[in-house]
Amino acid sequence: MSDVFGISVSALQAFQQAINVTSNNVANASTPGYDRETVNLNEAIPQANGAATVGAGVVVAGINRAFSQAAANQLNTSQSTLGQLNAMQNYSSQIDNLFGTTIGGLSTALQGFYSAFADVANNPTSTASRQALIGQAQSVSSGFQNASGELSSLNTDVNSRITADVTQINSIAKAISTLNNQIVTGTAQQGGQQPNELLDQRDQLVSNLSQLVGITTTTDTNGALNVFVGNGQPLVLQGQVHSLTTVPNQFNATQLEISTSASSAVISSTITSGDLGGLLSARTQIINPALNQLGQIATALSQTVNSQQAQGLDLSGNFGAPIFSVGTPLAIGSSRNTDAVTATVSVNANGLGALTPNDYVLSFVGGTPKLTNTSDGTSVTPAGAGTVASPYTAAGISIVLSGTPANGDQFLVQPTATAAGSLKVVISNPSQIAAAGAIKTIAAGANTGAATISSGTVIDATNPNLLSPVAIAFTSPTTYTINGGAPNAYTSGSNIDVNGWEVQINGAPAAGDTFNVTSNAGGTGDNRNALIAANAQNVGVLQNGTTSITGGVSALVTGLGSQAQQINTAQSAQSAVNAQALGSVQSTSGVNLDEEAASLLQWQQAYQAAAQALSIGNTLFASLLSAVKGT
Amino acid sequence: MTMRVTQSSNQTQFLTSINLLEASISQTQNQMSSSLSFTTASQNPIGAGSVNNYNQALAQSKQYGTNATSAQTNLNTEDNALSQVQTQLQALRTLALQANGGALTNSNLSAIATQAQQIQNSLLALANTQNGNGEYIFGGFAAQTQPFTLSATGATYNGDQGQRQVQIAAGQTVADGDNGDTVFDQIKTGNGTFAVAAAAGNAGSGIVGATTVSNPAAYDGGTYVIKFTAPGTYQVTEGATVVTTGSYTDGDTIAFNGVQVTLSGQPAANDSFTLAPSTNQSLFTTVQNLVSALQTGVTSSASSTALNNSINSAINNLDQALNQTSNVRATVGGRLNSITTQQSAATAVQTQLQQSITNIQGLDFAAAITTLDQQNTTLSAALQAYTLTQGLSLFKFL
Repeated sequence: MSDVFGISVSALQAFQQAINVTSNNVANASTPGYDRETVNLNEAIPQANGAATVGAGVVVAGINRAFSQAAANQLNTSQSTLGQLNAMQNYSSQIDNLFGTTIGGLSTALQGFYSAFADVANNPTSTASRQALIGQAQSVSSGFQNASGELSSLNTDVNSRITADVTQINSIAKAISTLNNQIVTGTAQQGGQQPNELLDQRDQLVSNLSQLVGITTTTDTNGALNVFVGNGQPLVLQGQVHSLTTVPNQFNATQLEISTSASSAVISSTITSGDLGGLLSARTQIINPALNQLGQIATALSQTVNSQQAQGLDLSGNFGAPIFSVGTPLAIGSSRNTDAVTATVSVNANGLGALTPNDYVLSFVGGTPKLTNTSDGTSVTPAGAGTVASPYTAAGISIVLSGTPANGDQFLVQPTATAAGSLKVVISNPSQIAAAGAIKTIAAGANTGAATISSGTVIDATNPNLLSPVAIAFTSPTTYTINGGAPNAYTSGSNIDVNGWEVQINGAPAAGDTFNVTSNAGGTGDNRNALIAANAQNVGVLQNGTTSITGGVSALVTGLGSQAQQINTAQSAQSAVNAQALGSVQSTSGVNLDEEAASLLQWQQAYQAAAQALSIGNTLFASLLSAVKGT
Repeated sequence: MTMRVTQSSNQTQFLTSINLLEASISQTQNQMSSSLSFTTASQNPIGAGSVNNYNQALAQSKQYGTNATSAQTNLNTEDNALSQVQTQLQALRTLALQANGGALTNSNLSAIATQAQQIQNSLLALANTQNGNGEYIFGGFAAQTQPFTLSATGATYNGDQGQRQVQIAAGQTVADGDNGDTVFDQIKTGNGTFAVAAAAGNAGSGIVGATTVSNPAAYDGGTYVIKFTAPGTYQVTEGATVVTTGSYTDGDTIAFNGVQVTLSGQPAANDSFTLAPSTNQSLFTTVQNLVSALQTGVTSSASSTALNNSINSAINNLDQALNQTSNVRATVGGRLNSITTQQSAATAVQTQLQQSITNIQGLDFAAAITTLDQQNTTLSAALQAYTLTQGLSLFKFL
């Protein structure tokens, strides 16, 4: 008779607990990281008495959480990739929006600049045209500076977000280690029963962590979780945290890198996913390359415009002054170099074709220099000795060292990184614009032959005798002398190169004919130099002379746009993958309220039935008592 | 086993799709308000690069148009000046013919000389013409220096031989002027190949008439002296070499070595005429020589002959100058023509470029409106579906 009481009571207790678990599921339906729980009911084992036995009721063997480690791992990996793409997209779309389709108006400003040069060619004596050209040059310079400024401020933003990420990663790591300790102790105290709430919390922290940085995890037999970042650098080992730290880049203190307290090594290159990985990628794959490419164009603009200026004469008859200036390219010794040797870099006068928008590392192994392109990892041994007389030359740049570097010394060489931000207009006097050619040619009035002389071009503006007067005198119809020197054979139309200029004489000269080449000082109506400058927009100078300056800007627009588009596509694809992974986790661990409602009904009915059984037992017992009392 | 769907994942999915739908609606709205199919490079990277290139080509083509207009203005100024120069030269030529008519007194000649001087001043002013920017159009590169100043023998040229080119199309330039040296100074004397001058001391009445090159291949460019050994007998020498001899009567044409010289009147014995290759002579020197000859006047029959010869020579030189001016005007006209041709070509190019830009970046409004409509429909359907499914819960029925 007592059995019915025992069995009923065990059932009432078990079902009550089941209702509690279901209520808890409903209560936590929206709690992040909550895993649906179910009661695990077992039959109670009766005492064997040799006869046929009736069961002893029901016991709650445990409360299980619906958790799939495989699904969770999949979600975490997906979140890491998505985190990286989100961070990259943040920067690529900022650039996309800021730059629009014209690099923030830069390409329009460049068109205006070259048009203004053509206006000067139309009216070389007009101060207004010249002043307008300087104005347009300033627009170009602002265009480059603004674009560079936007990119630099994104780099600053990357730094602050890296710091914030590292702080948050470390605090999550600390929390995971604390939970590790509680879980190990808790599991032992509850006799092997898993502390579901602590596990949920820890799994949620791991999930949060995976959004910030790509991780791998292992679980020890005692229940502790180990977390690794990068190439297996430990972040959490049981109750221990090896926190991440930010350290300045060895070459550029304004850029933060990631290190770990486990070792002093910089591990930035191994962190490729999560928000942190995305920040590092945004810097190395989006922002810095864009800065370098802008700088490459700015360098080319400055060099071509200035060198054309130097070939012509201004209104005062002097060689033209530079219109633009760009800062000196950077060459930064590593903070780990063992000596104080410094490096100086310059872009070669004829180096634009070979100049790349990449950074290089100049390193020394056994005294041999090696220049490694940081973009593709290829390396070359530069020509030269690194001295002023014989600088190291490669990729359109020259590098001069202040001394002999120690073995293992490294220098980061950035030929173009700062050029866009430092492009300035350095001309203020409009009369200093060199619209005129440097030389003019004159056929003597007494010439009786039919030969004519071309107006002449400058081929070497550095020749000190460029402006010295030269007489080309024909001693016969087939020979001429230069300033009375040795006779030269004359061929109609062939080049005559003297003192850095070149002219052609065409036709049949007569003996005694003279052609004079002199300085064009006073030739203020001449526009030959301005014409060449205005046409320079179509001249290929970059990439071995295949890309013009304005073509370079168009290519940059397409390049940045493609990159942003690619990241957008990857991000939306990864969002879909992530939704799948999230769905898979939810499918296992999520709370479906309809399901819980059904469970509640089920347990409620079971509870009512058990109560009914108890009531029947009570009736049976009362019947027995009244029968005994009645006799 | 079917996948369990939870309320929370339902909600997440709903929010994600609503966000995406709203983002695409916003993009379509943005397209419509800007009338552009893309406003950032990522929306059409290749198109954005192409539009940049086309815009650059367009700006350049428009600049070529500006250049062409500038050249046109300068060339019109030049053509106008040269046309006036021609008028003045014609007037001067008429004066010279008038003076050559004979039976004029010295005071008549002097009056003609005064008129010729006035024309000389007009020519000088024309040669010093300035354009709207204050540039001397006949100064060559030295556009800010007055190119011509009068001198005792004509005028000094202070400019140079530069000629400014203006870019009117890719790879095509035109000169927007001509220097004064070419226009006014480099003018051949005589008939353009040679000139015949009477010796200063000629005593007879021999006057140089028409001169021609009858056989260009036979003329060697040498200098010949036609000397009358006696009235009616001449001898042609080149240096010490006797080329030919012959007899002469009034109006005869003396021919040798591919050239023909017609003389009139009767040269005296020992009178001579020198035939020399043409040299370049400034228009101003020609005018000055004429003025001087007119001012010298006539005192004897020999000086009358000398005046006739001077005037004849001046007329020859003026004809050369007229020729030169016509030639320069012809090239100016040619340049103006090529500018006009280029301008209409440029208009076509610009229309084409504008069309290409519109094709790439312009918005198809009909398509955009349809897209927006579809997007709106999808969004309202999604919202409807969400509210419907959210109403379903077993708890409602407990």
